[in-house]
Amino acid sequence: MLVILALVAYPAVYHLLTNSPVANLAVAVLPRMDSMVAVLYFALFAMSFDFISGYTGYLSFGHAAFYGTGAYVVILIANGKVPLLPPGTPFVVSLLIAAVLAALLAVVIGLVSFRLTGVYFAMITLGFAQVMYVFVRGWDYVASNPRDGPAVGSTHAEGFGIGIPFVDQLNLAIGSFTGDTVTLLGHELGTYTVSFYMVGLVVLLSYFAMQRVIHSPFGRVMIAIRENEERAEAIGYDTFRYKLGAFVMSAFFGGVAGALFAGFRRSVTPENTFYFLVTGDALLASIIGGFGTLAGPLYGHLFDHGVREFLSNRGQGGGLLPYLQETLSEGLLTTQLPGGISVQGFIQAALNGHASLYVGIVFVLVVLYVPSGILGTVRSRLGGKLSETLPARVWGDR
Amino acid sequence: MTLLELDGVETYYGESHVLEGVTLSVDEGEVVALVGRNGVGKTTTLRSILQLTPPREGSIEYRGEQLVDLETHEVADRGVGWIPEDRRIFSQLTVGENVRVAIPDDADTGEALAIAFDTFPILEERRDQEAGTLSGGQQQMLALARGLVGENDLLLVDEPSEGLAPQIVADVAEALNDAARETTLLVVEQNLPLALDLADRFYVLDKGRVVDDGDTAEVTADDERLRRYLSA
Repeated sequence: MLVILALVAYPAVYHLLTNSPVANLAVAVLPRMDSMVAVLYFALFAMSFDFISGYTGYLSFGHAAFYGTGAYVVILIANGKVPLLPPGTPFVVSLLIAAVLAALLAVVIGLVSFRLTGVYFAMITLGFAQVMYVFVRGWDYVASNPRDGPAVGSTHAEGFGIGIPFVDQLNLAIGSFTGDTVTLLGHELGTYTVSFYMVGLVVLLSYFAMQRVIHSPFGRVMIAIRENEERAEAIGYDTFRYKLGAFVMSAFFGGVAGALFAGFRRSVTPENTFYFLVTGDALLASIIGGFGTLAGPLYGHLFDHGVREFLSNRGQGGGLLPYLQETLSEGLLTTQLPGGISVQGFIQAALNGHASLYVGIVFVLVVLYVPSGILGTVRSRLGGKLSETLPARVWGDR
Repeated sequence: MTLLELDGVETYYGESHVLEGVTLSVDEGEVVALVGRNGVGKTTTLRSILQLTPPREGSIEYRGEQLVDLETHEVADRGVGWIPEDRRIFSQLTVGENVRVAIPDDADTGEALAIAFDTFPILEERRDQEAGTLSGGQQQMLALARGLVGENDLLLVDEPSEGLAPQIVADVAEALNDAARETTLLVVEQNLPLALDLADRFYVLDKGRVVDDGDTAEVTADDERLRRYLSA
């Protein structure tokens, strides 16, 4: 609940701090609003990855197939390329269709892949995703240049609305240029802020749905499979069906995440959807945030994205490099260091374009020293879930 | 009435031939001990019955129905329970969740939980504790409790006293004696006095074959007849 409140307050806090005397520092440290939208929908994808991989122990290395399916289906519907579905199909309907198709794809992949375990399962799912990646890169039907991927065309010029389908007044469109703005208590919420809240709403609903499953008898069997599949089978559970069911559910939410991505960005490429490194980013978020914690990947991806943005070399505001260049004095920047390099040159050499290097180092350190991830470690230190233990620690047992 | 019958069971791990024609039977309501040294195939016999390591040859009939080629969960659905060696509890589920996960869908959950917690009151005290944090003895109690709530007609119990303190072994023996009043037991046990105390009949396994069998009333733990197979 605290995290939800913090996220709800983030746009206001960001606005206040970036218009305060510490604006330079705030711009350098805080993720931009458009980045926060990306954090939310990708975190949902990482949570869906954690749902199957963290709770059953089956690493779905091909999970990008479901993210890509969700993303492509939304754009294909908007471009009128899906029979029986006009370009004006409400986004929420497109999103659900995309998620269902991702789930159906998971049935096919799962029926084959769950015959195997361990690294073989991981590799076969990866193989399926890579086949799809290669396929969409060469599929002329999706775009004139399929290697660059499709974008939403003129058939759907308006933004993708999230809300009650077919009731325009109860929808708010997402997207940087096509999104809605809202005036609330005299303050205008920009397109990014509206997108942040609307995407956040879908992510929150999806999170609660997955959490509900995990705390149900079905979820207990998922954990039993992770802990000892033989034992779960010997108790009488048809573990194949449970694994397949969990896989299909995780694919559904992976598809929702992909649909949100496409709805916000309005263009996708094979590289940012079906490619295996997309699953790699979800794995990174899950490990940094806490494997098998469901909410952990949100923290993990926020951390990963935050570090990348902080260490990025972009000069349009944000990040450590522009901050140092703006705040350090000219005299200090031109000071020569041993070896004949200036402070300015050293900063450039150390920070320019090396964000992935530092993220890699952070990843190694996390795996070595915080193997349970951010949320897993916090929970084990507090002796349980934050929501259950934090109030008692703050206010004591009353 | 014969509940379980193994006939000429041949089981392999890869190329390793572990069971070489095991033949044994268990009648309804009796307790049968399967004894033998380490590595002679006792656990593999239980795994073969459960189809966790399916035999390549031979027959395993339960209530006259062939189990070979069934899935493990189908064997369990027919009423065959398993209390594995080294406990194999679900360490990240709570004690309560560990018991609940073993209760069949059509069973009365409250009644089943009462059976488990009446048998091992310490488990009720630790109901909300993660099972992985229990002591070895408590984990064994939990493993037994899960077996008891499973509404099984035949319980396969693998090394129930392994690694436990003598007092805990006595508790476990008592629980198994209680279970034996309701359920048929096939117990793999290296603790010979315990095995003979629990069981009505015994089979001795050596190098993957049944080499002796009989009524436990006819032998003692230091009989030369048993010692020659069980001494290292």
